[in-house]
Amino acid sequence: MIKAENIFKSYGETKVLKGVSVDIATGEFAVILGASGSGKSTLLNVLSGLEKADEGIIECNGVRLDGLNDKELTEFRKREVGFIFQQYYLLSHLSVESNVKLSADLVGNKNYKEYLSAVGLGEKLRNKPGTLSGGEQQRVCIARALAKNPNVLFLDEPTGALDEKTGRDVLDYIFKLQKYRGFTAIMVTHNENIAEMAETVIKMNSGNIVEVYKNSIRKTAYEIGW
Amino acid sequence: MIINLKDVVKLVGISIVCFCAAFVCTFMLNYYMDVVPLSSSITDDAVGALYKAQVATAQFTSAISGGVLGIIAVIMLLFYIKLYISANSQKLGILKAFGYSRIKISMPFCLFGFSVLIGCALGFAFGWIFMPNIYESLTIEGIDAISIKFHWELLFGLVFAPGIIFSLISVLYAYFALKSPVLKLIKGKSEKVSVGEDKKNTDRPFLLDMCFKTLKSRKLLVFFVTFSCFCFSAMVQMGLSMEELVSSIMGYMILIIGLVLAIITIFMSATSLVNANSKNIAVMKVFGYSLTQCTASIFGGYIPFALLGFAVGTGYQYGLLQIMVNIIFSDVENVPEYTFSISAFFISLASFILCYFVITAYYVYKINRISVKEIMLEN
Repeated sequence: MIKAENIFKSYGETKVLKGVSVDIATGEFAVILGASGSGKSTLLNVLSGLEKADEGIIECNGVRLDGLNDKELTEFRKREVGFIFQQYYLLSHLSVESNVKLSADLVGNKNYKEYLSAVGLGEKLRNKPGTLSGGEQQRVCIARALAKNPNVLFLDEPTGALDEKTGRDVLDYIFKLQKYRGFTAIMVTHNENIAEMAETVIKMNSGNIVEVYKNSIRKTAYEIGW
Repeated sequence: MIINLKDVVKLVGISIVCFCAAFVCTFMLNYYMDVVPLSSSITDDAVGALYKAQVATAQFTSAISGGVLGIIAVIMLLFYIKLYISANSQKLGILKAFGYSRIKISMPFCLFGFSVLIGCALGFAFGWIFMPNIYESLTIEGIDAISIKFHWELLFGLVFAPGIIFSLISVLYAYFALKSPVLKLIKGKSEKVSVGEDKKNTDRPFLLDMCFKTLKSRKLLVFFVTFSCFCFSAMVQMGLSMEELVSSIMGYMILIIGLVLAIITIFMSATSLVNANSKNIAVMKVFGYSLTQCTASIFGGYIPFALLGFAVGTGYQYGLLQIMVNIIFSDVENVPEYTFSISAFFISLASFILCYFVITAYYVYKINRISVKEIMLEN
């Protein structure tokens, strides 16, 4: 369960989050939807412990994040969360396998190769990220995020840098893995079509949540518009 | 403007190196040029011997300071330009893509020569301020006080010439470095795209793997770390073991200059190390690696190279002093024999270890402050 109450966050004079409150149930697939500058990525960063809120209460799987120091937040991220970013952030000098081992080693997961096989990269373990296509790189990110068996997966515009076909493939992987493994997934996007894949949609505008709704029917990555 | 004054200010380390070189060379060469004309007037053998010793000291100190510090400054400058081009390759690539010629893009790099010009000018000025004291300490019994004369050629040779030469080196280096294809520059040379396969089996733990591969992918940094530790070892030991060869005031001066330079080069290499790896550290922090783990994986691999640099520096300073003593003091009688100083070795080793811990502690603090968000916004 992820719970945030009355979250405020500013960068200098700019108020980015203006008293935001959200509730996301365990095992849920939630999408934070909004235009550029709406505060959606900041909310994701705050919920995941990447950034501290100025005010407010944040609770993630029973842990109060707002009172934790940097060291405790690092420990929290190690234990609880995985990340997938739009820009991949793969370590270019390491092989695909080593990039996934980055997170697998944190939890002593020796079976990390199965995640690479699951995303169709079992044959490219020793390739460097520079030799892979955008879609393949994002799949390495998925394997890296999941190799530490996170309870919550945070995704920041994971298809933002991909073409339609690759984007759909990547979303499909995430969708299926989330259903199969049952972790909580929180995805930030500006694409309203992608929001149709989520159970819960949190719409943001100018640092406020303007709407929260549930999709009665969840569409798959190949059913949504683009 | 591709390069602004703010970028030049970052070269303060090079300015300090040039300051030290120009400072020592100014009074030493000035003294040498003032004292040489007196040789014909010396008839007394004892005075002649002293005279020869002082002239040799002036040559020796100028050669050591000017030569060694000059080489250090050139290496530091080239290293900095390389880092600058890597960090700004996208901007430079866009200019190239729009049709700017390589020479036009490279010309502003002459501004880097300013850091040398400023350092040398200040060194020259301070050399003149301290000159009366230095002349006094180098007084030769039996010869009247040597009057200080101004030599234009020194002003040109120690201030303007280095400024011009370093500007030319900067432009030429940038010119050749920008030879890369436009797309490669735009994609970012700093993020050198590693292609191909990792041939070695990667069964070792991630942190160890990271440590090895970071070293492998940043060979220039390995060289600079080794070089900075080499400078530390050579300069500190040289300063400590020269007391027999030069006056105590000169010995202290060389020691202080050596320490300042050594610390600057080590700091420069450590800063480059952290900057070059900031993205990797940020990703590791995001996934939950502790500060100690991040630091160990980034710094750990460099320790053997730091020690290697220290060892080579020890051998180098001993060999260099030995050669200098043999060549420069060859005509001088009663020159004390130069031997390896064990005490200087242990003092510099202890100060090296202390420096290493202080710098590591400082960078652990800096790494802790690396903002994940900032790194992400950069991309």
